[in-house]
Amino acid sequence: MFLLLLLAVAISCGLGRSPVSKKLLVIGIDGMDPQLLERFMAAGKMPNFSALAARGGFTRLTTSIPPQSPVAWSNLITGMDPGGHGIFDFIHRDPATLAPYLSTSRVEPPRFSLPLGSWRLPLSSGATVLLRHGKSFWEILDEHGVPSVIYRMPANFPPVKTRARTFSGMGTPDLLGTYGTFSFYTDDLFVAAGAVNGGRVFPVTLEGGRVQAKLYGPYNTLRKGEPQASLDFTVFVDPAEPVAKIVLPDSETILREGEWSPWLRVEFELLPVLSNVRGICRFYLKEVHPGFKLYVSPVNLDPADPALPLSTPESYSRELAGELGPFHTLGIAEDTKALSGGYLNDEEYLQQARLVLEEQLRAFDLELSRFRSGLLFFYFSSLDLNSHMFWRALDERHPAGNVQLAEQHATVLEQLYVEMDRALGKALARLDDRTTLLVLSDHGFAPFLRSFNLNAWLQQKGYLALQEGASPGIGSAAGDFFKNVDWSRSRAYGLGLNGLYLNLSGREKQGIVHSGAEADALIAALTRELLAVRDPASALPAITRVDRAAQAYSGPYAAQAPELLIGYNRGYRAGWGTVLGGISAEVFEDNLDPWSGDHCMDFTLVPGVLLSNRKLAASAPSLTDIAPTILLEFGVAKPSQMKGASVFEKSP
Amino acid sequence: MFGNRIKIDDELFEKIKQCAAKAGYASPEEFIQHVLEKEVARLSGGDAPRDPEEEVKKRLQGLGYIE
Repeated sequence: MFLLLLLAVAISCGLGRSPVSKKLLVIGIDGMDPQLLERFMAAGKMPNFSALAARGGFTRLTTSIPPQSPVAWSNLITGMDPGGHGIFDFIHRDPATLAPYLSTSRVEPPRFSLPLGSWRLPLSSGATVLLRHGKSFWEILDEHGVPSVIYRMPANFPPVKTRARTFSGMGTPDLLGTYGTFSFYTDDLFVAAGAVNGGRVFPVTLEGGRVQAKLYGPYNTLRKGEPQASLDFTVFVDPAEPVAKIVLPDSETILREGEWSPWLRVEFELLPVLSNVRGICRFYLKEVHPGFKLYVSPVNLDPADPALPLSTPESYSRELAGELGPFHTLGIAEDTKALSGGYLNDEEYLQQARLVLEEQLRAFDLELSRFRSGLLFFYFSSLDLNSHMFWRALDERHPAGNVQLAEQHATVLEQLYVEMDRALGKALARLDDRTTLLVLSDHGFAPFLRSFNLNAWLQQKGYLALQEGASPGIGSAAGDFFKNVDWSRSRAYGLGLNGLYLNLSGREKQGIVHSGAEADALIAALTRELLAVRDPASALPAITRVDRAAQAYSGPYAAQAPELLIGYNRGYRAGWGTVLGGISAEVFEDNLDPWSGDHCMDFTLVPGVLLSNRKLAASAPSLTDIAPTILLEFGVAKPSQMKGASVFEKSP
Repeated sequence: MFGNRIKIDDELFEKIKQCAAKAGYASPEEFIQHVLEKEVARLSGGDAPRDPEEEVKKRLQGLGYIE
């Protein structure tokens, strides 16, 4: 009796959870495109999606401005636009220095440390800070006693403190603190060594049948000079067979050429005895004879012992590792840069991407099997990353495509859509009459055929000035971080994938444009001229929409946004170099990178999808309607700052 | 005692002397040593020195959206 009384008190104090009979399953499929989905449904390839559309509804879901994943998922998480949650782009900048940074999180080092010989002992702990503002829908559900599982939600690293079970997704770094740095070891003298895009190439020599090498870990902030922590490993190469044995300090594995290792645990010593960090990585033996080529994945945080917070509660990460074994924790796990740089070929990259998908499908099965009440949100990344990499196999106009590629890989995306259909089939098999199902994507997809170098255009039009004697660069020589810009004569600059900022007096360190009439006139002129830009190769408009942040956004962070949000036409995107402040000689360029599809464009051209087992009543639902929908399903009223309404209610 | 000797073209050496003086190096030798150390570290893929701009770029490159 006393125990029952104690339990009743605990529940009334919010320490326990009242049983919730309602169930809501939300499957988030990054980058699922309505046009491709319709095409595959019409071809009979997606029976479960077709059945769901017939039973409940299928409509386009209006995406965010701009339609970038961190922005879009933040709209979904908070029910607010970027003015409310403060995420405007993958990349933001510090107006005082113009230094770019990832918009969603920041790592802060310890504030105080004690020098001791060659060591530096931290006296306070560092912190990883989530930069997204606004309350997530699962925090609100938590306040109302509704249990949630949120698996790999983007823009939620480090995961917000909550009693919900959450695991972080896009935005989670590797052990080096980057968003993915692979290592590539080769004795091929023609492969340039050193830092490369998204990785590092290490020259090695094969002597006496063995290769000695180092795997690098995080910068060791506990040592003077902050050297990079590293561990030694040896590869023993069979003299005749295409086989090698890789020996790490704590494990070894034998691989045949063309084979992936299982996840291997690695440990980097930061402070002898006192401080080590652990990670996990996979090795791929690309070539043994005649040359030696070994790829090592980015060192992921180990979910069994994460060096940075990955989940709430902390034990959820360990529990998943116990159930599933080691798995990718890096926010963007598909190694697109290794493919773009040629360190993995199409087949090898697809093998790696499939490993990521298989892990996600295993986690989906696990969570689905124990989903009893409340909310389960599950995120799949495969369609997004592989639409980025294999659009060139679908679209014969693509400059990076060719006949052979089309013959070999034209069905890559179709196969992945079919995988999503199978996953949906598992969910449909478990639906009961108290479960609502939502399947949605954050945006659709389009070809990325031509680059528009916004900063080059601004420079040629006289809005951005170079220093005396400086000239724009070509390709990678275009430079980053606005090298050689004369800010005393520059009125506007592009940064990030869709942002155009004015060089505002009082905000930018060397700002010259005054707020008010001068800024308004400049914005009007830029908008007019950008909408008039035509691609000389086709006479097509490169930009079909320019949104002014002051009109598109509402909320306390709207003033931090770029003044203008550039909406590129289908086929166009911001050029590779311009995103980080490079100024090239050419305004337009063919996109020759395997990264051949994109969505960072006019938001009206790349809507996402929304399907449900219940009738959809809203006439034009958008991402900001999802949080209010989820709350209302559990009888929780939406907070006043949420903009949208339930998709199951008729639009006013 | 005399260390290793490397022959450098006279015209290039003049430029090196000017650059070394302009950049505040104590001698052209110190400048050459520094430049070569940096390049050797880069090419050997060894311990990369921390460069704030490069670090930001490396952090972001894994996103896939930039080069």
